Amino acid sequence: MRVPRELHPVAWWVWAIGLAVVASITTNPILLGLLLGVATLVVLTCRGDQPWSRSFRLYVWIGVLTIVIRIVFRVLLGGDVPGHLLFDLPSIPLPAWAAGISLFGPFTREELVAAFYEGLRLATVLICIGAANALANPKRLMKSLPPALYEIGTTMVVAITIVPQLVDSARRVRAAQQLRGAERGRLGRLRGLRRILVPVLEDAFERALALAAGMDARGYGRAGPATRNQRRLTGALMLGGLCGICTGVYAVLDQTAPRLLAGPMLAAGCAAAVLGFVSAGRRVGRTRYRAARWAWPEYAVAASGLVAAVTCWIALADQPAMAHPGVIGLPSVTLAAVVGVLVGVLPVWVAPPPLTTANRRGAGPRADARLDPKPTERPTVRQKARTP
Amino acid sequence: MIELRRIGFSYSDGATPVLRDVDLSVEDGELMLLAGPTGVGKSTLLGVIAGLVPTFTGGTLTGDVLLDGSSIIDLPARERAQSIGFVGQNPGAWFVTDTVEEELAFGMEQLGVAPATMRRRVEETLDLLGIADLRDRDLRTLSGGQQQRVGIGAVLTTHPRLLVLDEPTSALDPTAAEDVLATLTRLVHDLGVAVVLAEHRLERVVPFADRMCVLGADPAAPGGVRVGEPADLLLTSPVAPPLVELGRAAGWNPLPLTVRDARRRARPLLDTLGPPPPREAPEQVNRVPAVVAERVGVVRDSAAVLTGVDLTLSPGTVTALMGRNGAGKSTLMWAIQGRLGASSGRLRVDGGDPHQARPDERRTRVGLVPQNPADLLYLESVREECAAADADAAHARGVPVEGECAALLERLVPDIDPSTHPRDLSEGQRLALAVAIVLTARPGILLLDEPTRGLDYTAKHALARMLRDLAAGADRPDAPARAVLVATHDVEFVAGVADAMLVLADGEIVSSGPVDQVIAESPAFAPQVSKVLGTGWLHVDEVTARLRDRLGGEGGTQ
Amino acid sequence: MRRPAVLAAVPLRPRSVAVLALASVVGVIMLFWPLVLRVDPGATERVDPPFLFLVLLPLILVVVLAEVSEGGMDARVLAVLGVLTAVNAVLRALSAGTAGVELVFFLLVLGGRVFGPGFGYVLGCTSLFASALLTAGVGSWLPFQMLVAAWVGMGAGLLPRRITGRAELAMLVGYGVLACYAYGLLMNMWGWPFIAGIQVPGQDSSELAYVPGAPAAENLHRFLIYTLLTSTGGWDTARALTTALAIALLGPAVLSTLRRAARTARVVRTDT
Repeated sequence: MRVPRELHPVAWWVWAIGLAVVASITTNPILLGLLLGVATLVVLTCRGDQPWSRSFRLYVWIGVLTIVIRIVFRVLLGGDVPGHLLFDLPSIPLPAWAAGISLFGPFTREELVAAFYEGLRLATVLICIGAANALANPKRLMKSLPPALYEIGTTMVVAITIVPQLVDSARRVRAAQQLRGAERGRLGRLRGLRRILVPVLEDAFERALALAAGMDARGYGRAGPATRNQRRLTGALMLGGLCGICTGVYAVLDQTAPRLLAGPMLAAGCAAAVLGFVSAGRRVGRTRYRAARWAWPEYAVAASGLVAAVTCWIALADQPAMAHPGVIGLPSVTLAAVVGVLVGVLPVWVAPPPLTTANRRGAGPRADARLDPKPTERPTVRQKARTP
Repeated sequence: MIELRRIGFSYSDGATPVLRDVDLSVEDGELMLLAGPTGVGKSTLLGVIAGLVPTFTGGTLTGDVLLDGSSIIDLPARERAQSIGFVGQNPGAWFVTDTVEEELAFGMEQLGVAPATMRRRVEETLDLLGIADLRDRDLRTLSGGQQQRVGIGAVLTTHPRLLVLDEPTSALDPTAAEDVLATLTRLVHDLGVAVVLAEHRLERVVPFADRMCVLGADPAAPGGVRVGEPADLLLTSPVAPPLVELGRAAGWNPLPLTVRDARRRARPLLDTLGPPPPREAPEQVNRVPAVVAERVGVVRDSAAVLTGVDLTLSPGTVTALMGRNGAGKSTLMWAIQGRLGASSGRLRVDGGDPHQARPDERRTRVGLVPQNPADLLYLESVREECAAADADAAHARGVPVEGECAALLERLVPDIDPSTHPRDLSEGQRLALAVAIVLTARPGILLLDEPTRGLDYTAKHALARMLRDLAAGADRPDAPARAVLVATHDVEFVAGVADAMLVLADGEIVSSGPVDQVIAESPAFAPQVSKVLGTGWLHVDEVTARLRDRLGGEGGTQ
Repeated sequence: MRRPAVLAAVPLRPRSVAVLALASVVGVIMLFWPLVLRVDPGATERVDPPFLFLVLLPLILVVVLAEVSEGGMDARVLAVLGVLTAVNAVLRALSAGTAGVELVFFLLVLGGRVFGPGFGYVLGCTSLFASALLTAGVGSWLPFQMLVAAWVGMGAGLLPRRITGRAELAMLVGYGVLACYAYGLLMNMWGWPFIAGIQVPGQDSSELAYVPGAPAAENLHRFLIYTLLTSTGGWDTARALTTALAIALLGPAVLSTLRRAARTARVVRTDT
């Protein structure tokens, strides 16, 4: 029997990005539909009961909205794809400065299908990202950041931690401000916001400086072992890498530029930047308590996403008709592409069961304690006064 | 082990130095207590030891700090972390992580301790502090005492040789404070850790201290310190626990430091004193109670916080509300104020249901000073705050009001510069400003939620006097008698100010009545003087008054 | 000897400046790729949005953030950054529900103004990232939002220091309005090829779609009409208005609060 635990958040992100890559290279509705099915199935079986686990629905809605917006846009701006006419709206030509564009006009079934395919692709990419959001613990993700981003990661952890305090603080200040009069007159509401914002901010800064003092006193930000030369190397790598990326990006876009400046240059730039990034992390001399481990389930989950991406890339590379099917006939798929997508469903079997309130160690205090207003410790009134 | 040499500190050039020529050394396994009035530089001195001053406060530091003979004054706090552990005034504000276990590991992670060692030390520390059952708890759900112990544990895991604590028990109820102090003594005795701690509530800590360092003891040399045995220093210390004041009044030498010592010497004193003073109930004739609660229940966030509270508050009386953290004291106050509605029972304030009243009506009936008075303040100077309070009061009362808030403030705390930023006021001044703002609407009932936090003995005396005046209506010629309700943990303060006392536990009033009766029923809430002389005696002032009578009388007959 | 050290929130060394500048150039190219793109006239294959950029930009942001925080970030700065990030995230989450009210930029501009360009850059990144985590808004658009918000924060930090008082407030209001429109425009530039579509030779097209290979001016024209039609009139203007109003009304109080926080962290240490 597999022990419930949280899978490493990075593994989920790799898996999800793999699926998103598949979605981004095709508009084939069969493949996209399969991808949606895979992502939904994995989310439903592997998510825990934390607040972020519930975000998947939101992404599904955003996905649906994307498709609708795509179609509405097509209707609004009209098109010129001939085919089966669905409806015909009166065309409104815009003035000359608008490049002769006209709004509305006839709308065909083919146009609808084309808009749907495009929208579906974007929606699938979004929903894949949403799956990662629902599955990966954001706080642990921040803690798993590479050492060079330690400060930024800590800032994010501090920010995520402060948010609930801010909400509490705002509620408290709002109550306290009722003890004085309310703002009157025009713009009173915005001025009322000031009465809450200022004490909350002051309070938050006071707390944050206390927190900073606490972190400092406990050794946060100790000087690492990096030498002067190492730091120079870091800088050179980063700058060189960015230059490379800059050239590479331009060359990718300008298809008349020498191809050597595109792909290879971009790759070299990225490599240098990554090396610089790793080198920047060496100044950090910290260790991690019970660091999130990469065991075989993590590798398997990450690999399933990567394999899906690579397989589909290869399968679709020389099949433009399958990758971007036309709007007239029915789309077709090959076995290789379908298998490629289906590899992504592997986490259903390899990922450990998610942590829930029921199976968490110490069953519950973390989730229940907030509901319990009184710390259950001991009776207030001791039977005998203890002499100090 | 650690040695301070001629330390001087001032916040800005030309300002009066907070510390001047401070020499202090602490040995391994010693518990050193820092005492002194508020604002005298206790926290500053602790910050100098830990390396947080002047980095976080600004200011100019002179002198030298030595650790085992080598100077560490240029090392920032983070580089001192493995030898000096610092726990601040409010450990809850210091937590970086989510759970107790992660918090204990945080310091070690920064120091680069090997994972296996971290694992072992976390377990050891959980056991040492008796918090093993809390390991998975969300830090925000801990009680004050638990937070304090986790805060201590979080610095202990890096095995510091010196532990520096700023007011570890000030915000705790008596029983939680005992737990924390027991933990500290265990560290000193078993591990040989040296401890330096600052504390207002001397009565709690003095019995545990090996040596004491009094700041501001000598008015002739501000910024200086005196170091020595507690019993010697307390004879002349500007701050002293009630026990010591009793000893001084009775002329005991050496001074008793524990209640046990004092009890042994109390017999002859009791003979001199005679029977405890009679306590007349405050005149309640002709006075309609201002607040009447009958079986009041309050539900907050779908949890029943108050289940059945009966109480009566009359004009002219000061009532103390006590009880463990989280017992529902604040909820009760907000219910009387009217923001929270009673879910069951009947609550009447000036004959009406406060929850039904309009906000303006509520403000003219009940004034509430919330736990954090700074929540009320949002402007940039005391003057602006007072003007805003006058305008609000004018709107609520329907008559023009001018300068009333400033006048009230002047009576409560004289000589505040009106251009000061409210956040730069001391705790006591800020409290007074909040009280003045609330009172400008002229409520007949005043509620204060934990006003004594961070106040020293002098400030608490002043607050007690202020509350008595307000209750009696002595602050203004035309002022009516007011009903005052104070929530606090401070039994000594209660003994000095209150007529009646309520103890709230688990959403119900478990005991109520005149202070001496309640204390007789619940010894945990007894002030030190009662512990020594019996429940009839509450406050040193009563003892000194009687002694003056008796001795003065004897003097007359001789 | 006495050496006063003011809170240099996120100090920018020449190297950091170079990294920031390069990264900004890459960012501009990535945002404006439809205008930069030059199709080989002989090629017939279809033009896809460069999904590659969606992977590249996070890498670049990460390198910039690593560079800016290289050498360790002061715990105080980190705390202030954490607070402002959290407040921004909450404001954004709150305002997301009320149409037209968008309050992220207000604190971003003020924070950048008080704590400097480096701080503003990081704050822009972290604010948008935190709010995305909070409201589950992590998506392919996020790196671009972070980049543009970072520019907004950095720009606020680069405004002239000498101006104070009412003139300063007026300047900040003006900058806030400008930043809101610029942000809307740049994010539209990113979304345009995705939303309006890319014209494929011989197939469907809508009249505002991006036409690969067409002259940049023509595409820019199409884009400007697209952005005018879709957002400038409604969403962007509402955002600019609320931001301006918030800076004008809450600005003085918040500025003084932020400056107090900056002041608390000022140090004078004597070496003896």
